[in-house]
Amino acid sequence: MTRSIAVAYAVARKDLTSEWRTRELVPALGQFVVLALVIANFGFQIDSQNATVIAPGVLWLALVFAGLVAFGRAFAAEREQASLEAMLLTPASAAAIFAGKAIAAALLLIACEAVLLPALALMFGTPFNAELVAAVLIATVGMAALGCLFAAMVARVRSREVLLPLLTLPLWIPFIVAGGQAVQVAMGASGSYNQAVALLIDFDILFVVLTSLAARFVLDD
Amino acid sequence: MTRYTRLVAAAVLLMLVAGALIFFYAPEDFLQKEPQRIFYLHVSAAIAAFACFAVVLGASIAYLRTESLRADRLARAAALVGVVLTTVTLVMGMLYAKPIWGTFWTWDARLTSTLVLWIIYAGYLLLRRLAEPGRQAARFAAVVGIFGFVDVPIVYFSVTWWRTQHPGPVIISDALPPQMLFVFLVTMACTLFLAAVMVAIRYQIETLTDEVPSPVVQLVGAQREPEPAR
Repeated sequence: MTRSIAVAYAVARKDLTSEWRTRELVPALGQFVVLALVIANFGFQIDSQNATVIAPGVLWLALVFAGLVAFGRAFAAEREQASLEAMLLTPASAAAIFAGKAIAAALLLIACEAVLLPALALMFGTPFNAELVAAVLIATVGMAALGCLFAAMVARVRSREVLLPLLTLPLWIPFIVAGGQAVQVAMGASGSYNQAVALLIDFDILFVVLTSLAARFVLDD
Repeated sequence: MTRYTRLVAAAVLLMLVAGALIFFYAPEDFLQKEPQRIFYLHVSAAIAAFACFAVVLGASIAYLRTESLRADRLARAAALVGVVLTTVTLVMGMLYAKPIWGTFWTWDARLTSTLVLWIIYAGYLLLRRLAEPGRQAARFAAVVGIFGFVDVPIVYFSVTWWRTQHPGPVIISDALPPQMLFVFLVTMACTLFLAAVMVAIRYQIETLTDEVPSPVVQLVGAQREPEPAR
């Protein structure tokens, strides 16, 4: 168990160090989500009346597509250098390697959320509070587990750019349903915040367990 | 006449019997009039589709445990038939909804989760088409087959706080008059038989496809090495 944690930590640290040195993904993702807000403004004609109604939808659209890019990239470097096979040759368990990749990708997406949420609050004039941040962070956990599983899968398939959203988005829908509800309430709509967040936590537990069981079949060759 | 032709003939005949019952035997609904006759095939197709996806789930788990080629073929066959039946369910449901609800589509829990189901298994079929056929593709698809089946009840239950417009289960709640219930049960049995025949034929096609070596292998004359991931 402690060995697995050490492996996951080492893999996550490797990915984050490489991102820190190249600064490839996070600035691009940050720019991407700000662009998404600009497009939403022109698509919806944002004003002070409709902003709070539209903002949750814009948040999830931007987040979901930024997530697809982040998780798609998680295995790109490994594929380009064929280093995943080398990692799998070590005695480390596939689940631990997968956990490390997922943690690193989740942290990169959180870095992108750190741009998205304040930018949304600033430009749409919506409330920015702890409930909002908590709901998004809790949803990120399960989304990262699922997203990385399918990213690992499509990394070895043709037309991976097409297939990743097709496989991942439908399975993310539970997170968007509950997360959408939680964010709407955090931004002032009526409804139960606790119920939505409890559901998000249930989904996190379910999908983290399922993906860690499935990781062996996706990574092993 | 092969075994399969006979099976197909029987399935077509049974569906014609079901159609005759639906149009000539079943009484007209007092409130919904003629469109209510869509109900029989709509619900039967939905049940048959769920049965197919349950087969995909079982076969996927069996494949991951035993790596049996037969389980994988069964999963492939059932997924395709399931997607076809889900399409039938969705299209018939839309045709039913227009005269009764006044709209083809509403974002109701049942409708949304059925659409998600369709998307997931259409993605499953696409993955099968795009991945290099072999052990890896079968494993990936098995994982998608299992996750897809888990996801659908979750989508359904997580959207139930939205007001639902789709009627609940009328069959077990004893809301159907005996004549309608009889027609429904016959239609359901016929549809399940049709689904089973389609899965059997598709399974046979998958078996034959697996036996034909791919063109590359024929050229090289040897088992192809698995390609390194690029």
